[in-house]
Amino acid sequence: MHWRKLIIATHRDVGYFFAGLTVIYAVSGVALNHIDDWIPNYVIRTEVVEVGVLPFGAPSELGAEVLGRMQITEEPNSIVRMGQDELKIFLDQRTLTVTLPGGRVVDEYARRRYAFFEVNYLHLNHGKGFWTWFADLYAVGLLTLACTGIFIITGKKGLGGRGRRLLIAGLSIPIIYLVLAVWL
Amino acid sequence: MKRFLILSFVIIAIAAVPAVAGDTTSYGDGVTLKEAVAIDTLIANPDDYIGRTVRVDGVITGVCKKRGCWMQVTDSESGNGVRIKVEDGVMVFPYTSMGLEASAEGVFEAIKLTPEQIEARTAAAHGHEVGEDCDKDEPKRDGSGVGCDAPAVGEYVYVIRGTGAVIKG
Repeated sequence: MHWRKLIIATHRDVGYFFAGLTVIYAVSGVALNHIDDWIPNYVIRTEVVEVGVLPFGAPSELGAEVLGRMQITEEPNSIVRMGQDELKIFLDQRTLTVTLPGGRVVDEYARRRYAFFEVNYLHLNHGKGFWTWFADLYAVGLLTLACTGIFIITGKKGLGGRGRRLLIAGLSIPIIYLVLAVWL
Repeated sequence: MKRFLILSFVIIAIAAVPAVAGDTTSYGDGVTLKEAVAIDTLIANPDDYIGRTVRVDGVITGVCKKRGCWMQVTDSESGNGVRIKVEDGVMVFPYTSMGLEASAEGVFEAIKLTPEQIEARTAAAHGHEVGEDCDKDEPKRDGSGVGCDAPAVGEYVYVIRGTGAVIKG
């Protein structure tokens, strides 16, 4: 039948076109589902070092003293005295939090987590603009895949048999979950 | 097909350029007010500014690690800071912008903490992961969801409901 050929062709072409994006959204989806357990966008490493008791002084002088003792030659982006007993030195992708006057330094290094930063950027639509409508197009593509997919196979393995049972099973899981978690 | 791919690439490349002007990046509506209110002035006279749209300038000394849904803008001279809180996903402040200069704009709010919350914050200061609660909850007027790392001034935590920001560098 003509309409069946159209369904199969549509499913095939839309599937090819959005296969890569589906992988991106799937990887990001798992990463973001577990956001309570990790930081998906950044790798942050923390180390504590002692640089010894520090003298009194202006933030810039104290910052230079700490950097000197840690043998860091990089020019800081900024140095801020957060209070009587804390100084923060901001370097590129690195923050030194210094306890005053004791000289305990929490050395934190942060960088983007490769691949995850990018897939999450797309999934959460941080860029807005173009990506908003392309993501909408992807949603329409997924709907198309779902609607065409269920009509590809006919007979016992299609909607007339196994397919129908699987369709109902898949739908029933979110419904049962909602009944138990929200509606009751 | 080849032409279609090239045209698509060009359109996407143009559309994907973020709102960057020179060495600054704009978030949300950016900043529209020409005059900034000093953070020290805000904190010294909060009643004069509560409910008003204000702009603050300062150094970014803290950013939400997980969602980028808040940043702490601090006066580099006094160390006083105010939290710029935005709805999840509306603006996302990069964690790697720590230490950069920023201007931020939004509605100023003072959130009064209850004695229980002050006690909880004190306890949390001895073992809570920094930003843990703030990453999960919106600051509410009753003080819940402010998070243990949002600096309090007396019984208050000061928050700007951010509508826009510009980060330099």
